[in-house]
Amino acid sequence: MRTASNTSAWKSAVFSHEGILFLVLVAEWVFFYHFGTTVNRHDVVVGFGTIDRQFDILRHSCEIGLLALALTPIILTAGIDLSVGSLLGLCAILFGMLWHDAGLSIPVAAAGALAVGALGGGLNAVLITWLRLPPLIVTLGTYSLFRGLAEAITRGAVTYTDFPASFLFLGQERWCGLPTQAWIFLAVAVLIGLLVHRTTFGRSFRTIGFSPEGARYAGLPVGRRLALVYLIAGVVSALAGLIYTSRLGQAKADAGTGYELFAITAVVLGGTSIFGGVGSVTGTLLGVAAIAVLKNGLACLPVVMRMNGAEELSGMLTGALLLLALTGSVLPKYLSNWRASHHSARPQPPT
Amino acid sequence: MNRYFRELSVAGALGLLLAMLAVVAPAFYQPQPLLSLATREAPTLVVACGMALVIICRQIDISVGSQFSVCSVGAGLLAAHGWPAGLVLLASVSIGALLGAFNGVLVAGLRLPSIVVTLATLVSLRQGLNLVRQGEFVNLPDGLQWFGLSQTDGQWTLVAFALGLLLVFAVALRYLSAGRFVYAVGTDTEAARLAGINPQRVTFAVFVLMGALTGLAAMMNIIQSPQVQPLSGNGLELKVIAAVVVGGVAISGGRGSVWGMFAGLLLLACVSPTLTHLHIEAYWEKAIQGAIILLAVVADGLRSRKENR
Repeated sequence: MRTASNTSAWKSAVFSHEGILFLVLVAEWVFFYHFGTTVNRHDVVVGFGTIDRQFDILRHSCEIGLLALALTPIILTAGIDLSVGSLLGLCAILFGMLWHDAGLSIPVAAAGALAVGALGGGLNAVLITWLRLPPLIVTLGTYSLFRGLAEAITRGAVTYTDFPASFLFLGQERWCGLPTQAWIFLAVAVLIGLLVHRTTFGRSFRTIGFSPEGARYAGLPVGRRLALVYLIAGVVSALAGLIYTSRLGQAKADAGTGYELFAITAVVLGGTSIFGGVGSVTGTLLGVAAIAVLKNGLACLPVVMRMNGAEELSGMLTGALLLLALTGSVLPKYLSNWRASHHSARPQPPT
Repeated sequence: MNRYFRELSVAGALGLLLAMLAVVAPAFYQPQPLLSLATREAPTLVVACGMALVIICRQIDISVGSQFSVCSVGAGLLAAHGWPAGLVLLASVSIGALLGAFNGVLVAGLRLPSIVVTLATLVSLRQGLNLVRQGEFVNLPDGLQWFGLSQTDGQWTLVAFALGLLLVFAVALRYLSAGRFVYAVGTDTEAARLAGINPQRVTFAVFVLMGALTGLAAMMNIIQSPQVQPLSGNGLELKVIAAVVVGGVAISGGRGSVWGMFAGLLLLACVSPTLTHLHIEAYWEKAIQGAIILLAVVADGLRSRKENR
């Protein structure tokens, strides 16, 4: 092993979780490149490989990507947040309301939406850390509460539109060669990546996920660290809500419905253990890309176009993908456990 | 007294709400609307019995809404093909049990966390159903509605059946060893294993039962109307989990009873008519449901903090 370290490093990079996922992503892209067709606005058939198509994929993956980035530290601590999609919707609605009904300027309304995101995340954080309630049931409650508030505020009917062009620039235009929101996505990715991988502060998330009791005995302020990850998730969800509003040019109560599934799938697909303690931000980014390419590519398959069900099919396949990724992640351990118990069941030779 | 404190406090809250309704909106107490309300909630009660078991076993199943829709549409299609009502009922329960078994294999067999597994099946089943049916309604044959009984008789039968099932579950959980196994596994899996229980088998059985009850409830729902709506199960999981949690079944497993769940369900069932009678818009229902779930878990959290000191 010490000799030929070069090849073994190369090998371990390819056979790491991220390496395999990258190969899957490439295979997926090549598949859609080969079989997918798209019709542009001049009724000319163009391929999947156009630069516009890539930017489209990037644009559509920003919101789910942001939620997945927010969920990565949470899942590293062995927690879960089901409320991110609902909070996205609530923040989008409140942003529209602050701008349209209260007459605030766009930056102030955006700051208000981010503050609401922090409040929502803070509510989760307080209930989970101070009362030591399971994240699962707390965020299931807030999942219903946030979406319900969004529906109640809009009475299920009001949609805020007619945002100024300066705001739509964020979600529909390009800046320095990339879709504008991609820069925000990249910035958040770098920040969370640095936090999780390069600071002692962020590395404690994994310690907590691996063993909360151990982390407590090691002197880590477990409650405060946990509170922080849920707070970050709230703010990032609000940011995703702003980008969603800008991309579609409208804020409505059902914004981001079901996004939590896509985000959790991206995180788990990226190799972060749902039991906490193991995972990386790079993996999450690859997971987001794999899901975005799948979603976008399905819409260009002629078969799917004829069925008129790209949205449904991508949801269905994402669920299946999540189950496959989970099964794949536990199967080796399960098999070795089974083998061990099988061996120990045999009569041992006398010593 | 102390042992049933949690159940009694929910029952007290329900009593207060009913008393308030008697003063503010006496129109609530008319036999026919009350019977309709009870009939509407009867399938929910059946699903909630299963969910109480799942949560006592320290698991959760958020895919019941999708299972409900799939069973409803499946049963509706079979009935439209001319299958007799009894066979349709059997098929609906079997479809549910199969879907539950799928969750059960992943949760009990591979020991995956039930929340993520059932989140995946929730979405896959719902989107799969949308893809295949494109939101189409199923028209049912005439004989199926109320199983051929008159409407009032049918309503009474459904309510009585649901209450009977509740009684069966209450007795089974309290006095049968199978029921005690569920509490044992939910309290401490390892201790249960050392006591000679197979926790994986119990968990699997609970998920299968959950699915079968969902199939039964779907059948109880479709016989109430001449058409099957493919989205009838949307949001059912939250309603049922809310009833169970509000009723004092601990989300950390091993504690609670179906009677508490029953009180919680009645409390939540009265929310929507209360909103109507107090002239509050129905759009608030989801938010109020979420707030009630949070209130219930906060109350539990505060109580356990006090006990730990």
